[in-house]
Amino acid sequence: MTDLLRDSFKYRELIWALAMKELTVRYKRSVLGFLWALLNPALFMLVLTVVFSTVMPIAIPHYAVFLLSTLVPWTFFSQGATYAVESIVMNSDLIKKVAVPKVVFPVAAVVSNLINFALSLIPLLLIVLIMRHPFYWTWILLPISVIALSIFTLGFGLFFATANVYYRDVSHIVQILMNLWFYVTPIIYKVDAFPPKFRWIFRLNPILYVLNDFRMFVYYGQVPTALSILGSFVCAGGALVIGYWFFRKHQSEFVFYV
Amino acid sequence: MFPSSTAIRVEHVTQRFRLIHERPDTLREVFAKRFKGKSSVHDFEALKDVSFEVHHGEMLGVVGVNGSGKSTLLKVVSGVYAPSAGKVEVNGRLASLLELGSGMHPELTGRENIILNGLLMGYSKKQMKAREQRIIDFADIGEFIDVPLKQYSSGMYARLAFSVATEVDPDILVVDEILSVGDANFAAKSFKRMMDFRDSGKTILFVTHSMQQVLQYCDRAILLEAGRLVIDGAPEEVIERYAPGTLASTSALASASEKYLASLRE
Ligand SMILES: Nc1ncnc2c1ncn2[C@@H]1O[C@H](COP(=O)(O)OP(=O)(O)OP(=O)(O)O)[C@@H](O)[C@H]1O
Ligand SMILES: [Mg+2]
Repeated sequence: MTDLLRDSFKYRELIWALAMKELTVRYKRSVLGFLWALLNPALFMLVLTVVFSTVMPIAIPHYAVFLLSTLVPWTFFSQGATYAVESIVMNSDLIKKVAVPKVVFPVAAVVSNLINFALSLIPLLLIVLIMRHPFYWTWILLPISVIALSIFTLGFGLFFATANVYYRDVSHIVQILMNLWFYVTPIIYKVDAFPPKFRWIFRLNPILYVLNDFRMFVYYGQVPTALSILGSFVCAGGALVIGYWFFRKHQSEFVFYV
Repeated sequence: MFPSSTAIRVEHVTQRFRLIHERPDTLREVFAKRFKGKSSVHDFEALKDVSFEVHHGEMLGVVGVNGSGKSTLLKVVSGVYAPSAGKVEVNGRLASLLELGSGMHPELTGRENIILNGLLMGYSKKQMKAREQRIIDFADIGEFIDVPLKQYSSGMYARLAFSVATEVDPDILVVDEILSVGDANFAAKSFKRMMDFRDSGKTILFVTHSMQQVLQYCDRAILLEAGRLVIDGAPEEVIERYAPGTLASTSALASASEKYLASLRE
């Protein structure tokens, strides 16, 4: 784990350059360019917001804010993890030619999505202001959850990036998993919609805690319970430990399989 | 300057590959193989128990027929491959130009790649910025420096890669055939730079198919045959073993080239 920190620090400029490359190369030669990275999730959010606030209203005040407070971080996770999973295979050209710690590629994938995430806080803030939802002081505590979510995303990404080197099906499976996971996580709905005796099931979902914290900070304007914050870091740490262990075990072999 | 007089030490290195047609890539293929009951994996040794040393200030030529393991050896020395067995020790900062170039991205421009390539080699952005102009001057590819790499000719690519690798001033330079696509002028300029390099105490590991280059520039050479190191000695000795009876004509070529280079310098 210390070498993860050491490599990330030593190669921080490289990670930043790779993250920027990721953003610019994906959208090169397109007029809207890098806005596409935001547009896709933004449209999805718009559809969900319209559906659940007008067509099929849910009795949740300021539903758009309720939804976006978890949908924005969820999008960071699902897109960041997807990029990270593909990062080793996508950078095979570099991996075959230079001796560089392989972990820089998944880290850069998460960083590039972190930039997207930071940018998508702007529309979130605008919606808060437009809907006259209170702009709570608890926003300043968001970095706590951003750290937990980034760690979780990286851990998840490292694990499946390793598997994806050996079996390319993994990236497709991850896509499907993300779709299912989205619906079993209380993002578009509240856990309260379920009978109390089933609610414990939701607690098994490792991303629940951190998303709940986001919602507390942005929508409710409250500090989450210590248990919830602890839960978010336990899940994130667990994911990173497992993901990095698996990645490290196999990284020297990657070059033969990409 | 260095604690050890050895720049590169390769000890009993074996490099094994799993050949691709034996390797299932998707789950469907895995199941197909299991089902048919054939999951035989074929290991292939591209390097077999190779040992040699390169001293500081030495230029070592690596020769051998296609597929003998030269590029594989350079990748092991550069740290791209972790050897299946044996040990590689490198004393000093290493820059390498492998088979199909160095760490560059086709969608980025030459200028952006200078920075990326430097960062991949462990230099800082600031260090690369400071060298940028000299790299561009040496590569001498004109306006193409601001064009994406995918629009380069192979010679232009080689020029840029070579300029970056040598301008970062490494202690050890590893070069795999990349100069074979440069024009005569650039090749002459590059060899001159490598000679200056070596004369300032730096080390060069150099793969080529040109016996004339081995004779003209290398202090020593090794010959690989099907992954085994069969001879390690003076260029003349190695050429005699690799291409018997050609030494005289190669010498003539080398001295002609030497004269040409001398005339260029005047
Ligand atoms: N990634 C790889 N996976 C499997 N086999 C490989 C791989 N790389 C090289 N080989 C095999 O290893 C052997 C040596 O290859 P290598 O590229 O080192 O040869 P070379 O001496 O550089 O040849 P050339 O003169 O054509 O450049 C070849 O038989 C090649 O097929
Ligand atoms: Mg080769």
